[in-house]
Amino acid sequence: MLILGVWLFPILCQSQVSHNTDLLNDTIHLNEVEVSTSLPLSNNDVMDFYRTNHFSTLDNINARLDGMSLVKRGSYALEPQLQGFSGGQLNITIDGMKMFGACTDRMDPITSYIEPSNLKKITIDHGTTGCETGCNIGGSVDMTLEEPEINSSKPLISSVEMGYESISNGQNFLFSSGYSAKKWAWGIDGVYRNNANYRDGTNQVIPFSQFRKTNLHSVFKYQPNNRNSFKMDMLYDVARNVGYPALTMDVGVARAALIGLEYQRAGEANFKVKVYLNTIYHVMDDSKRDSLYELKAGGSTGKTVYMRMDMPGQSTTLGSYAQLQHFWNKRNRLTIKGDNYTNKSLAEMTMHMRYPGLPPEPEMYMQTWPEMIRNVSGLYLQNTTFVSQKLTLTVDGRVDYNIDILQSEYAQQQFSVFNYNLPKKQGKLLKSLNLSAQYLLVNDLSVVASTGYSERMPTIGERLGFYLFNAYDGYDYIGNPYLKVEKSNFFRVAFRLSKTAIKVNLSQSVSLVHDYIMGITDHQIPAMNFYAKGIRVTSNIPKARLYSTDLQILFNPNTNLSLFILSKFTYGEVSSANPLPLIPPIKNIAAVQYQKNRLLLQAEYESSMAQGRINSDYGEQKTPAYTIFNLKSGYSLSFSRTRAEIGVSISNLLNRIYYEHLDWGRINRPGRNISVSLTLLF
Amino acid sequence: MKLNISLIICSLTLSFLISSCKKGDEINPVNPLEGLLKLKEGYVIGASAKIEVWGEKNFFTGFNNLTVVLYDSLNLKEKITDAHIEFEPVMTMVSGAMVMKHSTPVENPDQVSVNDVFPGAIAFVMPTAMGGSWKLSVHVHNHKIDKEGEAEFEIIVDNPATPVLSVFTSQSPDSSKLVLSLVKPTAPKVGMNDIEFTLHRKLSMMEWPADNTYSIEIIPEMPSMGHGSPNNINPVNTGNGHYKGKVNFTMTGEWRINIAVKKGDAVISKNASFNITL
Repeated sequence: MLILGVWLFPILCQSQVSHNTDLLNDTIHLNEVEVSTSLPLSNNDVMDFYRTNHFSTLDNINARLDGMSLVKRGSYALEPQLQGFSGGQLNITIDGMKMFGACTDRMDPITSYIEPSNLKKITIDHGTTGCETGCNIGGSVDMTLEEPEINSSKPLISSVEMGYESISNGQNFLFSSGYSAKKWAWGIDGVYRNNANYRDGTNQVIPFSQFRKTNLHSVFKYQPNNRNSFKMDMLYDVARNVGYPALTMDVGVARAALIGLEYQRAGEANFKVKVYLNTIYHVMDDSKRDSLYELKAGGSTGKTVYMRMDMPGQSTTLGSYAQLQHFWNKRNRLTIKGDNYTNKSLAEMTMHMRYPGLPPEPEMYMQTWPEMIRNVSGLYLQNTTFVSQKLTLTVDGRVDYNIDILQSEYAQQQFSVFNYNLPKKQGKLLKSLNLSAQYLLVNDLSVVASTGYSERMPTIGERLGFYLFNAYDGYDYIGNPYLKVEKSNFFRVAFRLSKTAIKVNLSQSVSLVHDYIMGITDHQIPAMNFYAKGIRVTSNIPKARLYSTDLQILFNPNTNLSLFILSKFTYGEVSSANPLPLIPPIKNIAAVQYQKNRLLLQAEYESSMAQGRINSDYGEQKTPAYTIFNLKSGYSLSFSRTRAEIGVSISNLLNRIYYEHLDWGRINRPGRNISVSLTLLF
Repeated sequence: MKLNISLIICSLTLSFLISSCKKGDEINPVNPLEGLLKLKEGYVIGASAKIEVWGEKNFFTGFNNLTVVLYDSLNLKEKITDAHIEFEPVMTMVSGAMVMKHSTPVENPDQVSVNDVFPGAIAFVMPTAMGGSWKLSVHVHNHKIDKEGEAEFEIIVDNPATPVLSVFTSQSPDSSKLVLSLVKPTAPKVGMNDIEFTLHRKLSMMEWPADNTYSIEIIPEMPSMGHGSPNNINPVNTGNGHYKGKVNFTMTGEWRINIAVKKGDAVISKNASFNITL
């Protein structure tokens, strides 16, 4: 959804940035929403600049998080990138639950199946320190699902929201409802979005930028007494007719279903156990596109070729974890977590070729991800020592045992083409270890220094992907079954100032990556398509370096006014000193917000510098700088038992023509967009 | 822990039981006729033998693997396993007043049977057609009783939808007529496949000997996609006119194997190719 709607109704959706309740986490609370749940509003002193109305997608929020950038292929389902890391280099989880997209071309990051209305908060850990949910090198993003409050003062709460966006004729509907009893509570929320193609700053329609989706989330919580609680989450998300202007194909349907059961026991030792199952079905669709084959083959032979591709993918994950947290003495807190998950993935491609006037040719079938089961068992330990009032030390480590099991001979047959004799089963042990120290320098100012080492398993696509077309660099990608694990040494220093009126967070991170995984051109293997430039085989390159610095400032000179500044910069290079592809340039966001009584006004400035450090081998081109402005306003009205919120916002106020460096296809972002919304609370 | 130990014991016992069951199964003797069809049967007059000719499908233009089974014509059960068998296929073409006869390349079975049967092959160079009919004579010398004779069959040779045999005239240096047959893969699959050709030379109307003096290069291609496949291995002569290599198919669909038959460095075939559909 177009960036626009980063809108806010203050009372409604109080989201907030809380720097750091946890030692090393950058936690962003999204909606402490009194609407959809009965959670109390909290931390009013922390102003909200990541606020959003419920109609903006999760992408809009992610774009404003610390260290996070988004890779854009369409107006929907943007892929998170954390300080230059993305895809298999990040652990993206939902309440610690593992879930994996079913698209070989990363068109369905897990974040695309989650709506802001589903979420309570997003927790980000950077670099190797994100290994609680699995050994990984680039960090972790955990999305905590919203839950209702038991025994609330107001047992039944409901809200309905309606919104309209001018740029894409977008219609959005949202509802949420919560019921709270003495020992149990139930919440449900749903979103429907329908957006046509949007227009850019030149008033041109961007074809294939439409999407339509429905999301439903239900959570039931039961708490028989103060110590024990049970929770069941169910989530269903289906998107249809999703356009990807930067790709050669769109998505017909992307469907996810998730169920999670949780038991918690509070006490001297906190215990939590969770069992979950999720499944994703993703079908790419080129039926509305002019086939590239038509153009190319038509040019050379004068014939018109009709080629259609079916590309369904599926991914199912069954998993569980158990976690125990215990103060084993006055100064030491230990966390032990054991987890296991099994993921089964399969992605197929069937090409149908039909020349006019001739019978269809035999189907061309291949498994772009062969049917494979990946089973990962892990053990995570963390110990935090509160050495003194000023010093806290944390050590955490993890081991994962990863087993990949092929489910059919097809993968072996396919890879025999490249002279591989694939074993049915491959096992690998992965390790991670992190140390960090938090020291209080002076009042309100602390420094956190961390260092760590971690490894990560190559994804199924990196190991066994079979002719995956990458529209960015124009190459077909082939996996490497014997890829080595990617390793990283990570260093981070963060300064944190935390006063009532001002909070500052300045961090610097360095990742020294060994056996970095990227595609290397192989001239021996012929290209698969008319339009592919050649073949790249995912390979380990000896070294890559990434450096990031992030700054966040939140300033509240008085109760009505607040100022937020976010600045992020990432630098990446491979061992040959060439730039790493797809690294965003410096980006700054500054926002001022004025809030008094029933009125909210906010102005936001967003600016990105030009990116000239590019790697043209990987399809990159220079990206010019841009600056845009967004305005928001909100007004709230109270009736006897109902409250109404009216919001009007304008994004890209000056109707700038721009795109960001991580936008595939250099497709212009939306032009000036006016959105209006009405919310009713009961 | 106790539970674990008992689990281990249980599973060990179970696996022992299962494996002991397996021991009871005996390995079945190879049935050389499995998956084959009986194409023809008859008596070899003079050799005291009944003959059966088996193949994967009816005779077709291309390289036909044929299996001959000989029985003692007296009891019809006892197989004859030592015999000299020669295929003599003849095409008779009638065009107005002209009658023309020719043969086609054959691979006669060894004199000693394999699994009690005699595998051989015929590469039919053309199908049965209007004005052209095939007759297959099989000459049998029954070594058991040292008698010989001939069986004669009228056969129909089908024309397969996808050609697997090509008759062409060498471009240079000797303009001899060559027969190139695709022997394998008969059941192509995605991945690496054995590929095998035979080359025979037409010496006269009745003589079509195997030729080992050429080399063959292959380039597989998927015509509708415009791509090939990597890591193919060009066929190498293995004697008796056979050339064996490896071909890779990256996906199902229709593939074309482009073939260059070379004498020394000179390509003597012209645009030879076979299509293979997976």
